[in-house]
Amino acid sequence: MRALVLRRLLTAIPTLLLVLLASFALMRFAPGGPFDGERPLAPETRAALEAAYGLNLPMGEQFALFLQRTLTGDFGPSLVYRDFTVTQLIADSLPVSLTLGGLAILLALVLGLAAGMVAALRPGGWADETLMLVATIVTALPSFVTGPLLALIFGLWLGLLPVGGLGDGLLSAPQYWIMPVIALALPVAGAIAKLARAGLAAALAQEHIRTARARGLGTGAIIARHALRPALVPVVSYLGPAAAGLLTGAVVIETVFALPGLGRYFVQGALNRDYPLIMAVILLYAALIIAFNLIADLLYGWLDPRSRA
Amino acid sequence: MKRIALPAAIVALIALAALVLPMLLPWSHDAIDWDHVRAAPATAGHWLGTDELGRDRLARLAVATRITLAVALAAALVSMLVGIGWGMIAGWAGGRTDELMMRIVDALYALPFMFIVIVLMVVFGRSILLVFVGIGLVEWLTMARIVRGQVMTLRHRPFVLAAEASGVPVRVILARHILPNIAGVALAYLTLTLPGIIMIESFLSFLGLGVQEPLTSLGILVKEGADDMDVAPMGLLVPGGVMVTLLVCLTLVGERLRDRFA
Amino acid sequence: MSLYRLDAMGVTIDGRDLVRGVSLEIAPGECVALAGASGSGKSLTSLTPFGLSAGTITGSAMLEGQELAGLDEADLRKVRRASVGFVFQQPLTALTPHRTAAQHLTESAMQAGGARPDRNTLVAMLDAVGLADPAIKLRRYPHQLSGGERQRLMIACAIAHRPKLLIADEPVSALDAHLRAEIMALLTRLRRETGMGLLLVSHDLASLEHHADRVLVMQGGQVVEAGAAQAIARAPQHAYSQALWAATPSLNAALPDDLHVPGAPLVEAQDLTVRFAGNGLFTRPVIAVDAVDLTVHQGEAVALIGGSGSGKSTIGRAIAGLGPVSAGAMLWKGAPLPARRSREQRRMIQPVFQDPVASLDPRWRVSDIIAEPLVHLRPDLTSWGRAGLVKKALQMVELDGALADRTPAGLSGGQAQRVAIARALVAEPQMLVLDEATSALDPLVAVQIVALLKRLQRDQGIAMLVITHDLALAAQFCHRAAVLEAGRIVEQGPMAQLIAEPQAAMTIKLVAAS
Repeated sequence: MRALVLRRLLTAIPTLLLVLLASFALMRFAPGGPFDGERPLAPETRAALEAAYGLNLPMGEQFALFLQRTLTGDFGPSLVYRDFTVTQLIADSLPVSLTLGGLAILLALVLGLAAGMVAALRPGGWADETLMLVATIVTALPSFVTGPLLALIFGLWLGLLPVGGLGDGLLSAPQYWIMPVIALALPVAGAIAKLARAGLAAALAQEHIRTARARGLGTGAIIARHALRPALVPVVSYLGPAAAGLLTGAVVIETVFALPGLGRYFVQGALNRDYPLIMAVILLYAALIIAFNLIADLLYGWLDPRSRA
Repeated sequence: MKRIALPAAIVALIALAALVLPMLLPWSHDAIDWDHVRAAPATAGHWLGTDELGRDRLARLAVATRITLAVALAAALVSMLVGIGWGMIAGWAGGRTDELMMRIVDALYALPFMFIVIVLMVVFGRSILLVFVGIGLVEWLTMARIVRGQVMTLRHRPFVLAAEASGVPVRVILARHILPNIAGVALAYLTLTLPGIIMIESFLSFLGLGVQEPLTSLGILVKEGADDMDVAPMGLLVPGGVMVTLLVCLTLVGERLRDRFA
Repeated sequence: MSLYRLDAMGVTIDGRDLVRGVSLEIAPGECVALAGASGSGKSLTSLTPFGLSAGTITGSAMLEGQELAGLDEADLRKVRRASVGFVFQQPLTALTPHRTAAQHLTESAMQAGGARPDRNTLVAMLDAVGLADPAIKLRRYPHQLSGGERQRLMIACAIAHRPKLLIADEPVSALDAHLRAEIMALLTRLRRETGMGLLLVSHDLASLEHHADRVLVMQGGQVVEAGAAQAIARAPQHAYSQALWAATPSLNAALPDDLHVPGAPLVEAQDLTVRFAGNGLFTRPVIAVDAVDLTVHQGEAVALIGGSGSGKSTIGRAIAGLGPVSAGAMLWKGAPLPARRSREQRRMIQPVFQDPVASLDPRWRVSDIIAEPLVHLRPDLTSWGRAGLVKKALQMVELDGALADRTPAGLSGGQAQRVAIARALVAEPQMLVLDEATSALDPLVAVQIVALLKRLQRDQGIAMLVITHDLALAAQFCHRAAVLEAGRIVEQGPMAQLIAEPQAAMTIKLVAAS
């Protein structure tokens, strides 16, 4: 187990370095800079600005400097939001994105697992057929269609829910979260439902289930003790990357519902070539993805002891 | 076959309409009808009305669907070819070659791809070619993993070993034993790749980073519709409906093909 | 009074009568065995009355005076929970992979309403089934136990709630030969000690004579012969029983004296070593084959005998040029064979594998499968000429030429294995590597394949490396045998000598078990 964690962390280092190097190179060698505004700046103003942000140093030194700062958690000032450091921007917006993604994963898990289990208990029954068709449809719904649609129906037509924003504090007004979370969670819930159904059906068809039945166990005990863990393996292997998908999908949802999350800053940053902000966000997401995959690996070990070998 | 035929027919119908409609309509997708801006559906020959610039919504919808489908199909084919090639080499070679090739796939999987693609678009300008490159970069990974897994199991099947033992060259074994036996699964995943690519392309277009004017795509129409939905909800509902129908039907076809072959 | 009694019991699935008119009676402490080939209905007969197999039963099945026919799932569950234990064939798949031995035992001990057993009780339960180091084994998951240990755990679970009746469905078929006798002896000891009845399903006929009181021979869903175990084993009456017993290889049979006379050395493996690298930074390489010396002469059949994981298949693949070789030399007629063999060198050694269905590409027709080696080995042939050779090959393996147009899905197991042999023969090899070539087949079919191989060996003088776990089977057509344990050859010599005077512990166990 320790060896697995160690191995994962070791392979994560080159990945993170690659992310850093790639994004750094892309941003630096690409045409256009952050000070290419509508009005050309006076050459001396430009030089002063570049010196202040370290853009006049050799590339190698810029990257080394960046690495050194990154390791100490200092991403420097934002090039576009001039009065803020990148760390401040992230500290303000990350909680919003994590709340959105976390709530969506939670909702998707509850809906998906419940639907998958109901469907798997009677394979081929009407509940199975209906639920799986709904799951497929829901999986194919892109959040940038459902988001605006929900806003149109419940916000504009019915006037039941606020169309955007957050209210006063992060969680002070739950009604602001309802539509974004649902729009984000639906496709994931559909995918989880299908995986859980397939996983449980496969687990129930295994031979050790017959042994459990031979002991005279009831359906509940058989699922809880003998079938649930192997059934969750496909769900977990999906959830690792899907967590990343939720965070990226949140870019659109945050735009549609005007939530001040990380994704919106990222798009703004990218459009304005705000190097420090972009690299910080990419690094953060890469770290999150690696962390989620590590958690998934650890869960495998618990779900199926054979995979620990 | 019955369960595949219906969704497949719907996809074919939409594709056919997207192909034929622009030839039949008197309006091109970017022609402006100054007399009828924001026209309601079914006025002055505009069956779906016009948008805020006076362009025919139906013509735009047809062209958008056409481009979305073309991008998806081309990108899916490219990603399938790369994925099958990569997966077959890794799965057949095994050992260190396989280890290295799959580590690369793992590393690419762990990249926050949407962001890299967005950065690419912003940095190198917004061209339809880059949309391809960006999408192709992401989508071949899954195909490579699936093909590699299939090849690995086939590799040690007795019938492949027997062919090796009687001196059949590797390329012939790959072409005559391996490829035909993975074709079904590859086809199923190709179908499942399509909706994924449509979503990415639309997602990029939605952010204004994908397909650019004067061309248009379903993602752009949805974006325009969403911006304008309080005045003209049809502008969101119609392209959104077409896109969702396409995605659902393609997913259904893909899943049912996969269940058949896997 | 009898403990368990079937009266004209039948099993119906979807309106088809798959088992008809089975009657049997088991008294406490007694063992009744069902014998027969696969598909004879013996598993249905044993499991369906308790709701563990598809179908419904007709007639009567009485357990301790309670009628099982017509009970619903809830009532059958109560019956299983209270008074029946089950042992299945594959202990690896029959035990839940994510539950430890202790969790399995605890669940079983409590199934009939017993108290939660403490640690000492659990240790005692494992001790009773002869599991070494029970205190340590309690914490193990099924995959961390050996095959024999897993089956002992399975038995410990099956008797944990002190059932009146134990149903054992092929309890030893999946185990290595030398373990089978131990497990059968364990079952016999347990039923004598506890007085429970045992319904044994088995195709391991050799062991029935010693471990069963009565035997029912089944064919096509019906009992064709029933009687005392010893009587049937020694003098079966019904033709099918006779065929079945005749198809069971036994060391008591005389060794063949008409084998082809071996010539000069054909293949020599010297110091053959195969290591498999662990697939990570932290895993140690596994040594599958450890410095093995093995020679096969021209026209000679050599048996390579060992249990699962002994490295016998790895050796076979290395010799056929299909698997990795880490160290050592390989000679062909005295000249070294390179690591990358030429087409001509490959042709000389042809493999035949265990699973006949997986041996044939499901998308190809039989004629194309057999012709495949010819396309590259004999580019001079026209398609007409190839068809002629394919026809000849089909004749050699005694297959109807009409099968040439079928796909593998349309073949029986025995036919598929004959096609695989025909494909090997069409390359005109000097040697066949037979990797458990008959063990996936029904005994009655296997005996025909053995006869075919024996004839090829005798008449054509084809050398053979016979990889098998079954000493008695190899004795029917092999000159010599090498016994393999943990990647090393522990003993080798002429067949007769090996059987008469086994030296190594493993050989002694194998001879005793055969």
